[in-house]
Amino acid sequence: MRSIRLSGVAFVAAVLFVSASHAAMAPALTRAKLANGLTVIVMPSQRLPLVDFRLVARAGSVQDPEGKGGVAQLTAELLTQGAGKRSAQQLAEDIEFVGGSLSADAGQEQFTVSAELLKKDFALGLELFRDCVVAPTFAAEEFGRKREETLGAIASDKSEPSVIAEEKFASYLWGASPLARPARGTEASVTAITREDVAAFHKRFVAPDRATLVIVGDVDVKATLAAVSKAFAAWKRSGAPLDDPYGAAPAVKGRQVRIIDKPEATQAQIRVGCPGVSRSDPDYYSLQVANTILGAGFTSRLVNSIRVEKGLTYSISSRFGMLRGAGSFRINTFTRNDKLRICVDAVLAEVQKLVDEGPTDAELDKSRNYLTGQYPIGLQAPDDLAGEIANVEFFGLDPMFIQTYNDRVRAVSMADVKRVLKSRFCTQDLKILVVTNGEMAKKALEGLGTIEVKPID
Amino acid sequence: MFRFTHATLACALVLGLATPVLAAKSAATAAASALSPATFKVERDTLENGLTVLYHEDHSVPAVCFWQWFKVGSRNERQGITGLSHFFEHMMFNGSANVPPKEYDRRLESQGAYSNAFTSRDMTAYYEEGGSASLEAMFELDADRMRALSLLPDMLKSEVEVVREERRFRTDNSVPGLLDEALYTTAFFASPYGWPVVGWMNDLERITRDEMVDYFRTYYAPNNCILIVAGDYDRKTIRERVRKHFGGIPRQTPPPRPVNSEPEQRGERRVEVHYPSETVSFQVGYKAPSVKSPDGYTLQVLSTILSGGESSRLHQALVYTQRIALSARAYYQPGLEPGLFELSVEMAPGKTAAEGEVALYAELDRLAKDGPSERELQKARNQAEASFVQQLKTNNGVGQTLGFYEHVYGDYRKMFTAIDSYRAVTGADCKRVAKEIFDARKRTVAVLVPEAAEGEAK
Repeated sequence: MRSIRLSGVAFVAAVLFVSASHAAMAPALTRAKLANGLTVIVMPSQRLPLVDFRLVARAGSVQDPEGKGGVAQLTAELLTQGAGKRSAQQLAEDIEFVGGSLSADAGQEQFTVSAELLKKDFALGLELFRDCVVAPTFAAEEFGRKREETLGAIASDKSEPSVIAEEKFASYLWGASPLARPARGTEASVTAITREDVAAFHKRFVAPDRATLVIVGDVDVKATLAAVSKAFAAWKRSGAPLDDPYGAAPAVKGRQVRIIDKPEATQAQIRVGCPGVSRSDPDYYSLQVANTILGAGFTSRLVNSIRVEKGLTYSISSRFGMLRGAGSFRINTFTRNDKLRICVDAVLAEVQKLVDEGPTDAELDKSRNYLTGQYPIGLQAPDDLAGEIANVEFFGLDPMFIQTYNDRVRAVSMADVKRVLKSRFCTQDLKILVVTNGEMAKKALEGLGTIEVKPID
Repeated sequence: MFRFTHATLACALVLGLATPVLAAKSAATAAASALSPATFKVERDTLENGLTVLYHEDHSVPAVCFWQWFKVGSRNERQGITGLSHFFEHMMFNGSANVPPKEYDRRLESQGAYSNAFTSRDMTAYYEEGGSASLEAMFELDADRMRALSLLPDMLKSEVEVVREERRFRTDNSVPGLLDEALYTTAFFASPYGWPVVGWMNDLERITRDEMVDYFRTYYAPNNCILIVAGDYDRKTIRERVRKHFGGIPRQTPPPRPVNSEPEQRGERRVEVHYPSETVSFQVGYKAPSVKSPDGYTLQVLSTILSGGESSRLHQALVYTQRIALSARAYYQPGLEPGLFELSVEMAPGKTAAEGEVALYAELDRLAKDGPSERELQKARNQAEASFVQQLKTNNGVGQTLGFYEHVYGDYRKMFTAIDSYRAVTGADCKRVAKEIFDARKRTVAVLVPEAAEGEAK
């Protein structure tokens, strides 16, 4: 059962998660657009006396100026370090005094500001949230401090094998693309950033005509819309082009191996991947179903073979990372050094086998049931629901995406899965990144493909 | 120790257990409506075999979460079988009388449900989460493994490799993991909190099947377990269904109390960990009381004042004002045995642990000498109240909170009365407890000494 209710021209209301066997339903969401271009969505939920704010904007490291990687993320860090009339210390004191939280972050192309407070503190929350988004101070002192902290975090993470693997694999896979740069920047690029870079980034990219604000919680829709419209009315649009300044990942020929030398490691971090698809790809649902069979949950092919049967790892998973304009497919795992080659060979063989033979009917059923069973559970918390509603806007998805997700997953056929397995799951043309003792790894992986060994820096 | 790495679960646990669980109930605030026994309804049922069952009904999403808390953790182990509890957690998914290996998760996932578990010093807890209709499968699978776990030799052999890989991941190749292990093994001589939850690598290799069978009989008995059903279920039939599945599992002799012969600490203890790193970090542990102490509430207030957000004392002093640290955190969670009030500091590049220790101890001394301000106390109470509401955002969080209070505090209803205890904490209490706990003679310090990869100290 599904129902749509229209109340006024600008408002679309929909009922979420109504299963045939069940009368439970979440209330409707209401959508509005302010004169400055800001999209506002309000979703009342009375279960707990909480309110969640979530703003997403089309801004991220892909827009960092050349040689200044890390500007987007430093901008995000600085939003809560002084805004409106408040200093960094006053902001922290005021939000924490009422037990609330307020934070901002920037990824490759998505800039996110989040807050969660008790319902009784709605007015304070809106004021602080607005100030951070619209009127951050970027005080010179705070800028210097946060830049220093970022450099410290970069240095510190050189002893974290999984962080090294993530950053190095991204740069390996994306080549010359802006997507190859770590979102928080490098030592050299962060050092080059000035306060003016941050202020300019904020003005150009964190703007109402590039953003959606979602509010989920124990709120009155009308009063909330009125308060939000008033609070954000003076926010100036930017007019900057709404483009995605990057292309697809470069094609890979054959099997290529890069080893990042961490001599003392007793465990090898392993990443395997290739170019994927963008979030708007029509095969989205088929890819989710196929990928769940290969590498999600506890009964996937990869978990079953690499962890349960062979005891080679504690954790293995595969996924499609999807951006607005590009994407990647990847497998993540780790294993003890002396099993490195056995593990890599076994992983590649599992993918090949699934691509060649396809899944069983039982696996297909299980995958569809698993995805549809877990989806509503993942949206139970108000902050999770706010994030998903914001994503629908950010990626320009069907406005009924959340409501129709389960039906669309159920509609995925065996033919769909076999087709995307053959077209999108790489087995021969791919990149493999390993973080561990370089000498050992080079010997172990000999013959797998072209091999290069690099230092951590 | 989790059965599997999942960022989402890690977050849930940080909210639910790792941060001080500060319960709140206030008639004066809107939040109170979610927290009073009148609005947040929980029912308890005790079966003839000693099994405790808690129910919380919530129809807001057509889904349900089923937790099983076994009152066993690494504190119930001894030298030679360290890590057994956590290894056991893994084995609970590897076959029982009527459910062959691999079948447990296959049946759950086929019905759209998900399962996971964690082990700590005090407990081993399991959950499944899925659509309302999957509850029956959860009951069948969990009753079968509680009644007759297989512990097949082949599965033991391959699963122990998974656990050893988990140890390499969390401890042997991780700076925080190495420091945490060094801190506890140095702080405790004769307490079962001394050895690591994941166990020593050599113990993992030598644990025998007989020892595991013995463990199962003793600790996985219904009279040593709490079940929690949270979410969308049919109230008319639920008790009868649980009784049907779990009522016939026989009660066992209650487990022996763990032996804790920890002597009084009479001087600071220090331990170094040499490992390649660009930055220095250290952890400090002060001997702190168990859940039985009435001072536990004051200790949680102290940890909130010290590190509850950017406005807290440690962040303000070490990170914001002095700019010598990247992070500085305090942590205290009451346990069944006396434990540690923990502090962990990661220094900024170029800064030494000695500088960090001086700054840290100055803050602790100041708190012990002057106590908190009235506003700091009020802020800690407000943070407690909000974090309590946040834990109830999901069925999973509800089940976890109920399980924690029922097991560690001995009664889930303590989550409602805890607020009175927090409100009763005064500035004078904070001063008194800070002075008593932050005593240099009862301190253990674990320091990372960065090395170049070749093995030379930098």
